[in-house]
Amino acid sequence: MLKKLNDLQFVIGLFFTIVSLILLFNVLLGNNSASPLNTYTGGGFLVFGLAMMLIRGRRR
Amino acid sequence: MPETITYSQRLHMRLQLADYLIILVYFIFVIGVGFLIKKKIKSSNDFLTSNRSIPLWITSLAFISANLGAQEVIGMVASGAKYGIMTVHFYWVGAIFAMVFLGVFMMPFYYGSRARSVPEYLSLRFDEKTRGLNAISFAVMTVFSSGISLYALAKLMETILHWDFDISIWISAGIVMVYTFLGGLTSAVYNEVLQFFLIVLGLSPLVVISLQDAGGWENIKALLQPEMTHAWKYMGNANDNPMGLHFMSLIFGLGFVMSFGYWCTDFLVVQRAMIARNMGDAQRTPIIAAIPKMLMPLIVVLPGLIAITLMQPALLSKGYRIPSTADGELDYTMTLPSLIAHYYPTGILGVGITALIASFMSGMAGNVTAFNSVFTFDIYQSYFVKNKSDRHYLLVGKGITVIGILISIATAYIAKSFNNINDFLQLVFGFVNGPLFATFLLGMFWKRTTGHGAFWGLVAGTLAAAITHGVTVAEGKGGWIAGLYTIKSGMGQAFIVAAVSWIVNFFTTIAVSLVTKPKPDEELRGLVYSLTEKPKYHQQKWYLRVVPLGILLLAITLVLNIIFF
Repeated sequence: MLKKLNDLQFVIGLFFTIVSLILLFNVLLGNNSASPLNTYTGGGFLVFGLAMMLIRGRRR
Repeated sequence: MPETITYSQRLHMRLQLADYLIILVYFIFVIGVGFLIKKKIKSSNDFLTSNRSIPLWITSLAFISANLGAQEVIGMVASGAKYGIMTVHFYWVGAIFAMVFLGVFMMPFYYGSRARSVPEYLSLRFDEKTRGLNAISFAVMTVFSSGISLYALAKLMETILHWDFDISIWISAGIVMVYTFLGGLTSAVYNEVLQFFLIVLGLSPLVVISLQDAGGWENIKALLQPEMTHAWKYMGNANDNPMGLHFMSLIFGLGFVMSFGYWCTDFLVVQRAMIARNMGDAQRTPIIAAIPKMLMPLIVVLPGLIAITLMQPALLSKGYRIPSTADGELDYTMTLPSLIAHYYPTGILGVGITALIASFMSGMAGNVTAFNSVFTFDIYQSYFVKNKSDRHYLLVGKGITVIGILISIATAYIAKSFNNINDFLQLVFGFVNGPLFATFLLGMFWKRTTGHGAFWGLVAGTLAAAITHGVTVAEGKGGWIAGLYTIKSGMGQAFIVAAVSWIVNFFTTIAVSLVTKPKPDEELRGLVYSLTEKPKYHQQKWYLRVVPLGILLLAITLVLNIIFF
């Protein structure tokens, strides 16, 4: 894990994954649940974040 | 006429826990990157030049991100609202051609000469006085730019979030200081890439949702004046378009002088290509960077057009307005913050605010890292303390990083007290940058150019810029010698000032060079086009070669210009 943190692609992926989880938890907790923007953006960030982390992992 | 809406009514955003969490996560990550890079920093080259070890995808995104500061993001959205789609000229005319030129023709000299900075190249090609002039003016410009960026960040946070001005200054400067001090250029570059993704992905939902609200591109075209949605059609006469520019002024002033002057000679951006792993990657860096640059108007120009469309009578029910200042004028610089305030709910609001903060910090860190390289190598090591150990220069580089940030903070406070200092500094930057490309063009492609020619050309070009500004007036600015000529827009005035300074530099350099002694050919190998072995590309696939890639990019740029003609 610590080694992976030296990899910028992994770091960026991790950042967007964490941000997406904050956005999605915010929706789940009922804050601004009427706005689909957080859901779509959170979902998009999650896919992007995981892809950045996993694609790098597979290449390695 | 739209009603007057003050900042506090229109812009005040109330952040909640989720928003603060996102900002906090961002701060933790940028500082964390600094700590991760820290253990790799062993020498002054590691700290100040990344030891030429950065992969292509990172150098390319950092290249564009170094230019993606707040002035760019907020300023281009404002221009989109004020001038319409003509703002894309800053990308499709004022960037792509110069980036391709840099990659194909100029990077072989910068990278191949093993110079660590642009002023160092000038020293190799010309002499120490030309290097000194460029290094000192560049160092002063970057550190003041960094301060202005910091001031703008604190001012914006004070306006939209009611954060304390001093706290915003010290926290943001402190964070930039920590990660640049720990990891040097590599840390700044890594964070620039993170900031690039944050800005693009953080603002993309805003474009999608506001475009939907405005009824799509066809509706924008239907609701706005035609000159707001055509890039070239109304440029035959300066009075017919919102920028007040004739197309020839645009092509020569922006497309040639200013654009090539910035993208091909400004060490802040060129440094990102100079840290690539090899010559091929260094050449490909600006060309790969040109791809996102070409698409950037979708993120930073389109929102401005959308904002002004939403203010048209047919869409007033949407409830969006660009805020007005106390005297009732639209404050275009607040277009992007007001769009974020209007469309982003808690959560994504934190992302939007973080994207704005990221753009400020990116601009500041870029300036600081360019400043410390130039100061350490081109001023301190060249003129003050030569032949010391590498550890000495590493420590100086780190110390200069701290001093650079402290000067930035001082500049931010001066800017707070004297509003006009921003305009004044921008003006001086224009005087210095305008003529610079002529020096490089002649230096790289005419072996007869001498050090004396280059030096006096730069001095004459800068003076010509100041005098031209002094005898022209636009939007109440300039004319401080005598207001002999009136120009419709400040932008037009900037292009004319740059064009005159370039021409004066070009001919002065030629004239002085012809009467002074040039360097012998053997000292110019690797520094001048005609005396340098050209890179061989034939072993590579076409998509790895810079010439086919560059031609492809130029063709796409041409098509985009035709589509939005």
